[in-house]
Amino acid sequence: MLFNSLDFALFLPIVFFLYWFVTNKSLKLQNLLLLGASYFFYACWDWRFLFLLMFSTLLDYFTGIKIQSSNSKGQKKFWFWLSVLVNLGFLGIFKYYNFFATSFADFLSNLGFQVNPWTIKVILPVGISFYTFHGLSYVIDIYKDRIKAEKSFVDYAVFVSFFPLLVAGPIERATHLLPQIKKSRIFVPSRAVDGLRQILWGLFKKIVIADNCAEFANLIFNDAANQSGINLVLGALFFTFQIYGDFSGYSDIALGTARLFGIELLKNFSFPYFSRDIAEFWRRWHISLSTWFRDYLYIPLGGSKGGTWMKVRNTFIIFIVSGFWHGANWTFIVWGALNAVFFLPLLLTNRNRNNLETVAQGKTFPNFKELISMVGTFSATVLAWIFFRANSVTEAIQYIKGIFTSSLFSLPKFNGIVDALIAIIFVVFFLIIEWQGRESNYAIEKMGLSWKRTFRWSFYIFLTLMIIIFRGSSQQFIYFQF
Amino acid sequence: MKGFLLKLSLFVAVVIILFVWIFSRANGYTDAYYLRFTTPPQSNLILGTSRGAQAIQPAVLKDSLGKDFFNYCFTLTNSPYGPVYLNSIKKKLKSESTNSIFILAVDPWSISSITVDPNDITHFRENDRFLDNTYLVNTKPNYEYLIKNAGRNEYKQLIFGSHDTSTFLHQDGWLEISVPMDSVSKNKRLEKKLTEYRNGPLKQYKYSSVRFSLLRETILYLSKKGHVYLVRLPIHPKFLEIENELMPDFNEKIQTLIPISNGYLDMTVYNNQFEYVDGNHIYKTSGEQVTKDISSWIKKQEMKK
Repeated sequence: MLFNSLDFALFLPIVFFLYWFVTNKSLKLQNLLLLGASYFFYACWDWRFLFLLMFSTLLDYFTGIKIQSSNSKGQKKFWFWLSVLVNLGFLGIFKYYNFFATSFADFLSNLGFQVNPWTIKVILPVGISFYTFHGLSYVIDIYKDRIKAEKSFVDYAVFVSFFPLLVAGPIERATHLLPQIKKSRIFVPSRAVDGLRQILWGLFKKIVIADNCAEFANLIFNDAANQSGINLVLGALFFTFQIYGDFSGYSDIALGTARLFGIELLKNFSFPYFSRDIAEFWRRWHISLSTWFRDYLYIPLGGSKGGTWMKVRNTFIIFIVSGFWHGANWTFIVWGALNAVFFLPLLLTNRNRNNLETVAQGKTFPNFKELISMVGTFSATVLAWIFFRANSVTEAIQYIKGIFTSSLFSLPKFNGIVDALIAIIFVVFFLIIEWQGRESNYAIEKMGLSWKRTFRWSFYIFLTLMIIIFRGSSQQFIYFQF
Repeated sequence: MKGFLLKLSLFVAVVIILFVWIFSRANGYTDAYYLRFTTPPQSNLILGTSRGAQAIQPAVLKDSLGKDFFNYCFTLTNSPYGPVYLNSIKKKLKSESTNSIFILAVDPWSISSITVDPNDITHFRENDRFLDNTYLVNTKPNYEYLIKNAGRNEYKQLIFGSHDTSTFLHQDGWLEISVPMDSVSKNKRLEKKLTEYRNGPLKQYKYSSVRFSLLRETILYLSKKGHVYLVRLPIHPKFLEIENELMPDFNEKIQTLIPISNGYLDMTVYNNQFEYVDGNHIYKTSGEQVTKDISSWIKKQEMKK
């Protein structure tokens, strides 16, 4: 069930009605309803993997209690590692086994040994990377005595599988979400309206921006060898907006949906394409994953406290692991490493925390320096996205080589150029709205609040019409595959 | 909560009213398929791909055979013989139909598939397209079809009324194409289509035994409701060359279906007598003649019975 499907348009109001009108007298019932709805939501993809989700939930719930109640350090360690290894084991089997098997065979073949790797035919359970990370952070936090183990299985299961975040995040922390699940929720109309507004903006990003850009990104990337330099640049730009519209659009819908149920999820995006350096970009892109890696990997490794070598090592580890988290392909690893290369100069010169506030705060336009920094950072990001989108590293390199040819200075030419122009107009409109709303939680959060109701409503109706009329051909959310 | 629900309902109502108004403007210019999903269930059907859609004219059949016909042909992408088309035909057909007449346009493409494995039913090209995703095929206006399938161009037509005057879908399902028929334009379109088919479909399409058996199943299903006639429509001789390359034994294959149908008419032997839009599709004036020829042949067949 996709957020942008008719099924979800029916599912959401039904759950909303049952939540606020039928089960509203009892928190336990409300949580049970959320759990049932979440499991139904997940089963709509593939009911078989529901058992995997349930098993993972049970395992972390049980080991969490065991870690807390263990009297000896050894016992504590045992339960902790059991949970970590089983969780990572599932992730490894479903997501990474084939990659390692084929990479190892390739390596042996380079040494002159021919081996037929034994690969497994298995579908990647949707959202496995997300719910595994939920569970892991929970168990690590208990092990480190940061939180107490949750006693209610239902509450813990809702934390892991709450449907708005189940398949593509944000990656929640027990410290943030569990207390909300345990507390009775009150319906606040202004928050619900805010949730709907964020859903509307998320749908616009996904359906109008991402899906329209996807058509041309796919067209160009799938036939990159026969494209001119300028077409390849356009293809990379289309993908840049596709992935942002897709993933941040998904996150907006998730946050808005959760707000309808009185629950606040972690912010996942904060206008990353207006960043002035790559460090700022990573503070604004997929925030819940970046902070997860920071807290559970980077800091335990020593963070940026050690010497230069330590800083370089840790930076590469966190970026490469982050890249690898996205998928079992060398392209993601190179994408991660490339970002590390972009980030390191800032870290080594202590300039990685230079741009903490929003660009051009309180102003309409950025100054020249800010503009140049934004364009530079954006260009570096676009370059890295080529690796992310390409099917192999070789393809990505060929793609980049193809850009730097004389055809870079020709006019773009491909099928559907008029539609591509329309997509570009959408992107410009989108960027203007994002820019004016960059100091808010999402672009249209405060937009029009001071307008007359008629104008504000007209704007929302206009967005709704755009979503229905100018929808691109429906594409799966990119991050579902991670 | 009350206030919130009231506001939300008002918002939804405004959006719905807007769309009801937009959709009420749908007509034969909206797209080449919509009106076919807006009539009541039908008794006598013309089935096939775009060749049949443009060639066989129900009004001409009615004059000759005295029955109301409905053209339920779509395109090669959407309505080759297969599970999706058969399912949609079942929905379009009046349940109590008896003594009906069904004209099935057949050609090598409609029993072939573009998929790597031509019998891989799960990847058939028509899956998840409008014929597959439209559950309600007999309602007017058909909001389901429009919500699911109207795209940017259709909305442009619906909102601003702007449309391409060369294509018009009649209420009886006949797709009328009006294009310049001077020899220069005709040859240009023919050459373009031939190149397109030589470089594309001819290399990609392969005979599908699954599609063929579904054609058989379609005939058997329709036979219970009336008489089934198979027709191979005329095409430009150069197009016939391509088709013969794709499936040289097409006529032999169809021979095996004749016993379960009420006859097969191969009109490609008269190819030179007609005018074509692009070689693949017959022009409307020739279509009228082709329809008359088909109805005369059906009359003869009916009299034999």
